[in-house]
Amino acid sequence: MRAAPWLLAPVAALSMPAYATSYLTIEEAQRIMFPGTTLTPAALTLTEAQAREIERRAGVPVPGRTLHLWRAPDGAAFIVDEVIGKHEAIGYALGINADGRVRQVEILDYREAYGWEVRNEKWRRQFIGKGAADPVLLDRDIRNLSGATLSSRHVTEGVRRLIATYAVAVK
Amino acid sequence: MKRPSVPVTRQRARHLARALLAPAALGFAVSALAAATPPASSEQRLEQRVEDLAEQLDALKAELARLQAERALAPPASVAAAPAAAPVAAGTSAAGFEKLSLWGYGEAYLTHPTHVSGESQADLARAVFGIGYQFDDRTSFNSEYEIEHAVASSGDVGEMEVEQFFLDHQLTPWGSVRAGLFLMPFGLLNEHHEPTNFYGVQRNFVETLILPSTWREGGFEFNAHGVSGLSVSLGLTTGMNLAGWDYAPEFPPYRNALELENNGAAPLQASHQELSLANAQHPSGHLAINYTGLPGLKVGGALFSGNAVEVPSAPNAPPTGTMRVTLWEGHARWQMSGVDLSAVYAHGAIGNTAGSNLANPGSPNPIPSAFYGYYLQAAYADGLNLGRYRLAPFVRYEYYNLGSSYAGAAPAIPAGSVPLSATPGDYGLWPKGQDRVWTLGANFYVTPNVVLKLDYQTFDVNRDFTRFDLGLGLAF
Repeated sequence: MRAAPWLLAPVAALSMPAYATSYLTIEEAQRIMFPGTTLTPAALTLTEAQAREIERRAGVPVPGRTLHLWRAPDGAAFIVDEVIGKHEAIGYALGINADGRVRQVEILDYREAYGWEVRNEKWRRQFIGKGAADPVLLDRDIRNLSGATLSSRHVTEGVRRLIATYAVAVK
Repeated sequence: MKRPSVPVTRQRARHLARALLAPAALGFAVSALAAATPPASSEQRLEQRVEDLAEQLDALKAELARLQAERALAPPASVAAAPAAAPVAAGTSAAGFEKLSLWGYGEAYLTHPTHVSGESQADLARAVFGIGYQFDDRTSFNSEYEIEHAVASSGDVGEMEVEQFFLDHQLTPWGSVRAGLFLMPFGLLNEHHEPTNFYGVQRNFVETLILPSTWREGGFEFNAHGVSGLSVSLGLTTGMNLAGWDYAPEFPPYRNALELENNGAAPLQASHQELSLANAQHPSGHLAINYTGLPGLKVGGALFSGNAVEVPSAPNAPPTGTMRVTLWEGHARWQMSGVDLSAVYAHGAIGNTAGSNLANPGSPNPIPSAFYGYYLQAAYADGLNLGRYRLAPFVRYEYYNLGSSYAGAAPAIPAGSVPLSATPGDYGLWPKGQDRVWTLGANFYVTPNVVLKLDYQTFDVNRDFTRFDLGLGLAF
């Protein structure tokens, strides 16, 4: 939340630049989440109605209309997205199974000296299996990262938004 | 990013039409001049041109009419599309600003000492605005500017402060260096002091009096972290200055709990320098280690040590000698299933105080050689979910002792009633430097970033400090 609205602009025109603190490339994240599976890029632009429905379900604004999406043959999806950590963007990837449940979350990069804790595997593992029926809320079914509250809240909100996005526009 | 309203766009259409018409009109005028002295052979050509121009004018008029009609009858759909277009437009038009970030936080409160209602106060305690800038992928700047107590002028107690002003430079994916004026990585509160991040209207006493808050120093810090959740900060900074220690306060340094927090009476509150023409003859070092490897858990500790600027020795007295300030703390926080438990223990020591304490006999305020405090806090973060709102009740027990031991001389606290200020008839007890405090209250989150707070605090020793507080905090 602590960011100028124009910082959300890169989400709309996401090109995933190679930050210095890049931990995984998109290809690496795809190999980790979908080993041996061929993913097909599928450009998708959300309609206004879809974006509003996602906002309604997830309870957070949809910052951009362009979805960076790859599909697996079985209907599963791989989505690359950004959220604001404390002030700057955190790039992450979400793997989602055909049943709409989270397969995996990987942090791709971030630019801040704060919030690196979200890379913690045990923390990210909490998202696995979460679906549209789960709250996916910090302090509710997702434990906080003490000292990185903003980053963990924003990644949690991002995952919740992408779960809704899958249900509304991808499935 | 407000979208221009329809009348403005209409105006824009008129400007466009005018811009298109102007050259045409000019062309027409030039042609007319040429027509004034016509060579007979070119008469037909001129007529043809005038006709062409007339046609062009008609076309422009039609275009203008169409544009105007379009703007006037713009269907609501295009208005609805505006928010979607806005971020993209902003991103392309504000290229220089994407590296800039702005944020802020602040808190206002009402504090009401239940035994001394005349001392009730309402205060806009702090309004803070932050500016950050991303120089490149590895280098970022963060700063915060704070106005305390609403008005800062020579006749008011308020202060205008630079609270943080530092650069971070990423060296490796796991390590970075920091330089400038930055917050010290001590306890649970100091680096996360936004009102939405702590329970209770005011900050707890341990992390205000034993660990000063908001505690910042100028210098360098190396930060490293591993994916396992272990992080280390190692720094070299400015330190404490005891040269201005007030051995002879005319009146008690504080008379209620709010003043205890605000008046800089605690040993490190009275001696930290905030990089304001700080005496830098003695560098201080610090080391902080934290573990956040298990989701919901944070455990850690920190150590600060450095020589303070000494109290000047009295005439003909031996030199004061090195006065080393050492501060250490341990903290733990466990957040699970909505339960939020935290504990902090902090201990400070100042070496070689005997000489200057002896040189100031009978002082009610000698320099302590040790001071410490701790608290235990339990909150139910997921307490009551009232639709979009959240009510988080909490309880906290804390103990603080601003002078658990003294060398040379113990405080000579005047017995009985003493004047509390220059105001005639303003009498009361000199406050004791230690207390046991229970705080019971709740944070009511209107949004995760807007909080209303309510609490009741009882003091075991300074019983008149017992108070009721109401607060409003926000961060964005």
